[in-house]
Amino acid sequence: MSDVIAAPSVRALALQKGIDLEKLARDLGRTSIAREDLEGKRPASRPAGDTSYWDVDHSQFGPVTEEPMSRFAQLAAANLGAANALIPQVTHHDRADVSSIEALRKELKPEAQARGVKLTALAFQAKALARALREFPRFNSSPSPDGKTLTLKDYVHIGIAVDTAHGLMVPVVRDVDRKGLWQIAAEISDLATRAQNRKVGPDEMGGASMTITNLGGIGGIGFTPIVNPPEVAILGITRTEIVTVWEGDTPRPLPMVPLDLSYDHRVINGADAARFISYLAGLIADPRRIMV
Amino acid sequence: MSDNHADLIVLGAGPGGYACAFRAADLGRNVVMVDPRDTLGGVCLNVGCIPSKALLHAAEVIRETRHGDDWGISTGKVSVDLDKLRAKKENIVARLTSGLVGLAKRRKVQTIRGTARFTSDKSLDIDGEAWTFDQAVIAVGSAPVSLPGWPEDNRIWDSTDALELREIPKRLSIVGGGIIGLEMATVYAALGSKVTVIEFMTQIAPGVDADAVAILRAALEAEDVTIHTGTKVTEVKAAKTALTLTCEGGFEGTIKADAAIQAVGRRSNGSLVDLSAAGVEVDESGIIPVDASCRTYVAPIFAIGDVTGNPMLAHRATHQGHVAAEVASGHAAALDTDLIPSVAYTAPELAWAGLTQAKATERGIPHKVASFPWAASGRNLSSGGADGLTKLVYCPESHRLLGATIVGRNAGELLAECVPAMEMGATLEDLALSVHAHPTLSETVGFSAECALGTLTDL
Repeated sequence: MSDVIAAPSVRALALQKGIDLEKLARDLGRTSIAREDLEGKRPASRPAGDTSYWDVDHSQFGPVTEEPMSRFAQLAAANLGAANALIPQVTHHDRADVSSIEALRKELKPEAQARGVKLTALAFQAKALARALREFPRFNSSPSPDGKTLTLKDYVHIGIAVDTAHGLMVPVVRDVDRKGLWQIAAEISDLATRAQNRKVGPDEMGGASMTITNLGGIGGIGFTPIVNPPEVAILGITRTEIVTVWEGDTPRPLPMVPLDLSYDHRVINGADAARFISYLAGLIADPRRIMV
Repeated sequence: MSDNHADLIVLGAGPGGYACAFRAADLGRNVVMVDPRDTLGGVCLNVGCIPSKALLHAAEVIRETRHGDDWGISTGKVSVDLDKLRAKKENIVARLTSGLVGLAKRRKVQTIRGTARFTSDKSLDIDGEAWTFDQAVIAVGSAPVSLPGWPEDNRIWDSTDALELREIPKRLSIVGGGIIGLEMATVYAALGSKVTVIEFMTQIAPGVDADAVAILRAALEAEDVTIHTGTKVTEVKAAKTALTLTCEGGFEGTIKADAAIQAVGRRSNGSLVDLSAAGVEVDESGIIPVDASCRTYVAPIFAIGDVTGNPMLAHRATHQGHVAAEVASGHAAALDTDLIPSVAYTAPELAWAGLTQAKATERGIPHKVASFPWAASGRNLSSGGADGLTKLVYCPESHRLLGATIVGRNAGELLAECVPAMEMGATLEDLALSVHAHPTLSETVGFSAECALGTLTDL
């Protein structure tokens, strides 16, 4: 007996349509296949919509080549499509002074080398975010599927989006609020390395309070990341730039990191988002406050 | 192209062959069907399923009449007019086979009586006449296996001889306790023979659930059938007065018999049609290997039914026949299920499909068992039914039904509920929550499921 449950009529139809039921069930993450799954209707896990826009013979306009989307990429595409279709998202932009963090990193550099850990700005940002999430518990929550309940989480896990050769992965650092910077930096580095080699276990990927997507090493002055459900917000970071700040009549150049906070507007309103990011920027500007 | 050309030719007019020929004709093909028998229907209709069921019905009538006293109904001593019974059986067979002739005519399927042999992958010889074809379906069935070293003697029968009902031997030995042997034991025991069944394996109906088989064995023994399991017949001597079977193993000694039936299995007939000329592979057991779509390794040639190996069952052949006709006509089809029901039409009947407890254990498949004893079935008791058992094998996690074995009156019919249930992926809950009519034997299926779920109130 096949492990995939499908009525004999459904199996016959699959045969006629040349559909591999075992593969379809795997792709859909299901144990049973219904007639509707075979009849051209979009499988339930993908957002509904008209895909005919993409039904174009591009070769009529010039030479083209085709390459298959990997299963990994297809899954990521489906998730991003669903997130964008289902969540009313707003992105709030701000920036934070990182001169203190930079000074501290410089100061700790010999110790970092001695420990064999690279103390990255990202580790500070993750730590600051963890503190902000404790201060604003609504940002560390998830709505129920029917939207009738909000689950508030009494833990702080931070997802770190990692750009890998085979696609985007989001390993999660657990209990960031209870860990020190050395450990956070080491864990981020370890997860990122293992993600590159696809060696991150499924138990290390999910259950985050919020995700950080950091493009600081590449560039940009801002972007609008897509919230990673069931989380309610995501923090985007781009490259630190020198910004001139006026103190009275005196111009002062300061290194500032752009912060982009996309949030689920069903759960978080704009004023809260502004307060949250302003609080976060304050923590980054004066990391001593993280401990206070 | 010769005058004798077939668009699609089917070799064999058994349940697989005619199903294939008729389905292909319904799909618009010009079909020729060739079979060496006088009548259509193959082994099943002529010397298999149908005549044996007629005799089993007679056996049932005899037993019921004998047990009538328990109900206060007395009819005196039961006597059997063998000629009349044989005529009745033959009449039933004739009605069905001539019915097939009508069905073939209506579909304009040309039937040829003859023996076909391949001369290439596009041509055949039918009793000296050359034929060409575009596609061929081999449905030439199987034949009873003869045991080596047995003497030539007309008191030694195969299943075909046994169904001829030549006489009622006083002492009948049946070598082989599979479905056919046990059905013959049921028939001849009711007709008055002193029957002895000798089975090489440790259990009659080898491979079937042991609890269910124990019930069947007890019932047969109550009808005065002697059963020797784990026993091998080492020598058979044919003297004028009797046959003498020397046995070793579970039973050591000699058995005297006035007739003996060899029922040790059937052999595929793949070696009878000169397949090498067509380039079609056939193994040393006479089996033609095919895929789920009944294709052989030679594109225009298909094979179906007993000639493709086990299980050698008419209903498998019929389904394969449809598949071959459809695939040959350009449709996508396959018989891709393990759920082919088996039924022994003994008294009581024994029927099973899917996994047995033993097979699940052997294959390391996680499973649990739920059963319902028929002693607690109102319908069974009120209709004079003897012991019986409904036993379900299911997945402990999903509760999905994985197998069913039923022993008892009409078990073959009752199994019909379980097969589609398994095909549809039904769970114990599905079976338990489906309303079964009361009082019926089918309730035992629902009760078994309820028993496993802890919702049963009838035990």
